[in-house]
Amino acid sequence: MVETWYAILSFMLVMFVILDGFGIGAGMLQYAVGKTDAERRLVIRAIGPLWSWHEVWLVSFGGTLFVAFPSILASAFAGFYLAFFLLLWSLVLRGVSHEVSGHIDDPLWRTGWHFSFVTANILLAILIGAALGNVVRGVPLDAHGRFTLSFFTNFGVRGHVGILDWYTVSVAVFTLVTLAAHGAAALVLKTDGPVHDRSERLARVLWNTVLVLLAVITVESEYVRPDLFPGMLRQPFAWLGVVGVLGGLIAVFTGLRSRSERRTVMGSCAFLAGLMIAGAASVFPVMLHSTLAPEDSLTAYGGAATGHGLAIALVWWPIALALSISYFLFIHHHYEDKVKPADTSQSPY
Amino acid sequence: MDDALLWHRLQFGFTVTYHYLFPQLTMGLAWILVYWKWRHLRTGDERYASAMRFWARIFGITFTVGVVTGIPMEFQFGTNWANFSRYSGNIIGQTLGMEGMFAFFLESAMVGAMVWGEKRLGPRNHFLATLGVAVGSWLSGYFILVTNAFMQHPVGYSLAADGTLRLADLPAFLLNPWALVVFLHNQIAAVVTGSFAVAAVGALYALRKHHAKQASLFLKTGTIVGLLASVLVAFPTGDMHARKVAQYQPVTLAAMEGRFHSGPMAEINMIGQPNVKEHRLDNPIRIPGALSFLAYGSFYANVRGLDEFPEDSWPTNIELLYYSFHIMVGLGTIFIALMVCANVQLWRGRLEKTPALLWMLMLAFPFPFIAASAGWMVAELGRQPWLVYGLFHTTQGTSEVVSGGDVLFTLIGFVGLYFVLGVLYLFMVGYEILHGPQSASSTVNPGGTHG
Repeated sequence: MVETWYAILSFMLVMFVILDGFGIGAGMLQYAVGKTDAERRLVIRAIGPLWSWHEVWLVSFGGTLFVAFPSILASAFAGFYLAFFLLLWSLVLRGVSHEVSGHIDDPLWRTGWHFSFVTANILLAILIGAALGNVVRGVPLDAHGRFTLSFFTNFGVRGHVGILDWYTVSVAVFTLVTLAAHGAAALVLKTDGPVHDRSERLARVLWNTVLVLLAVITVESEYVRPDLFPGMLRQPFAWLGVVGVLGGLIAVFTGLRSRSERRTVMGSCAFLAGLMIAGAASVFPVMLHSTLAPEDSLTAYGGAATGHGLAIALVWWPIALALSISYFLFIHHHYEDKVKPADTSQSPY
Repeated sequence: MDDALLWHRLQFGFTVTYHYLFPQLTMGLAWILVYWKWRHLRTGDERYASAMRFWARIFGITFTVGVVTGIPMEFQFGTNWANFSRYSGNIIGQTLGMEGMFAFFLESAMVGAMVWGEKRLGPRNHFLATLGVAVGSWLSGYFILVTNAFMQHPVGYSLAADGTLRLADLPAFLLNPWALVVFLHNQIAAVVTGSFAVAAVGALYALRKHHAKQASLFLKTGTIVGLLASVLVAFPTGDMHARKVAQYQPVTLAAMEGRFHSGPMAEINMIGQPNVKEHRLDNPIRIPGALSFLAYGSFYANVRGLDEFPEDSWPTNIELLYYSFHIMVGLGTIFIALMVCANVQLWRGRLEKTPALLWMLMLAFPFPFIAASAGWMVAELGRQPWLVYGLFHTTQGTSEVVSGGDVLFTLIGFVGLYFVLGVLYLFMVGYEILHGPQSASSTVNPGGTHG
């Protein structure tokens, strides 16, 4: 039961990163691939009206964490207090920028909102990356399962750590570049014309950078959490993740070379999913690792909801998932094709 | 009360009050949009399509602000109220999880297509998307109200060995009698807000003699729906809600009415200022017996006053609770009166030729927002000093690792951000209203040429 809910939550986070990662990545490249107002609007239209459905994966991740692991949610959300509000404010800025830019047909109005859209997406990628870095590195949990994090302490990765240290900053940079690469790959698939060509060039550069940073992060992670890779060996699901990472990278690079746009995007998704699955499987059952005393770490078994709530939720959750995907498909098939530069005089979607 | 608790409460109160200004409008408008879209499908009358398109754009802006201010609400359970989440997470986690999975996915998939995708979707699918948004937003409302109902009147739980709550009976929790009553009352109040907004824009266009066809449609739909909703929000739903309060939170009822002493023939105080120190109401104007009748169906029923309850069980802010309740009830009464007048004139075919009434309808739109906010303040102040009524004190609920300074930092951030958001929202809705409804061909270029 606990393992199932851990897997469900990992799945939701993977869906969020893959789907909304496209919006975040494409969003931060808006000025890099769009040199004119019309081209920048093309990026917004390529992201499409389902962006909020993508973002709901994060919100529902929070809701499902509440169902399954309420005490982990309580410790983590209170502990990451300041970081959470930065994340929430960035989400506010991004959502508003995305929606209002199309409401008034005025170049200055749009330029302002496009700029704040890019800013919000960059901030989001950094914050998500730093958050993932914190989960891998661990937090200063005490014996009561409580912790609090300052933005920074001494930038070290042991003992009384802060949100930002050399490791979490590296993960944030890695996430920023990876989501940009993911967004570029998807923009190649979703657009035509100059935006398409610039995205294609950018995707090559970004994916090469991802490869370098991946090597750096791997070495760093081995130093920060020596138990991570031994954990990976024990977990068959982690092997699946590693296969996803390697297979994804091969698909991305062959896809970029042979210009098979769909293969590149699929590879990019497999890469992101593989990384997260490998990470989630290797640390299991620890959900929050303690940098002060490993025995104070919060595990999925200790933090799971008690009583028959988990069993009940396992009945309604799959029904809700099936419904949710049917809504997505109902809308998505109207927006499958590439967005064309000629359409840019029309409404946002 | 230590500082951190004050800031935690202020932040939640501020962010939730601000947030709920937006969903009440979208939940109310949603079914009006469904109705117009349906009329358009049935009759082919372009007026309905154009009305729907115009309000869908306002809906889109409102929905966006509602979403972005709503996400922090869900997360604040964990960030600011971690001990409450630990205590009751096994129960309220269910509804908060369901809200995301059943409601948010539905709304978020459909809303972009509803606002912008009329052409791509075609009439039938566009109608379905509109319906999806309406159903999703009301479902979301239901799950939140069940969560709140558990805090007001906990049912379906058992106490675990570690002192936290455990889910004992999911159907009992989901069908909490308190939640069913509040759902009706609250959703109809949202329709009041939506219909008043529609009528106000209709009145504006009628007074400016612009968009004449749309003006009459907005006025007709707005005032008919407005009358029905204004009546239903008071009787029977408001009345049912008050009886629930009398039954389960008698001390709250006494405080809402400023009733310090028990006795039969309990009066309703129309006006008066509670003087908590002296245990009396200053300068009251009363209707004798009315409270006894409304709460228990008999003029001679005894309604218990605050003196029957220990002072530490009294709501912590009786004055604000009292005023909130009276503002809500007073405004609700005015809504009925205004909408009765409007409907009489509408029925006589003279509404658009009665400028005084049009002015009132135009200026009335902010008041349902005030009434709904006041109503929520009654519910939440009335619940004090409890976070979960009778089980868990508000003082126990906060995140003890978060300092008062941290909370004040984020509270100031929210005040600044939401101020900017509010200015932006008013500007954009004002722009849409001045711009007016468009015909189908000109929606291709949103915000194109004026007039």
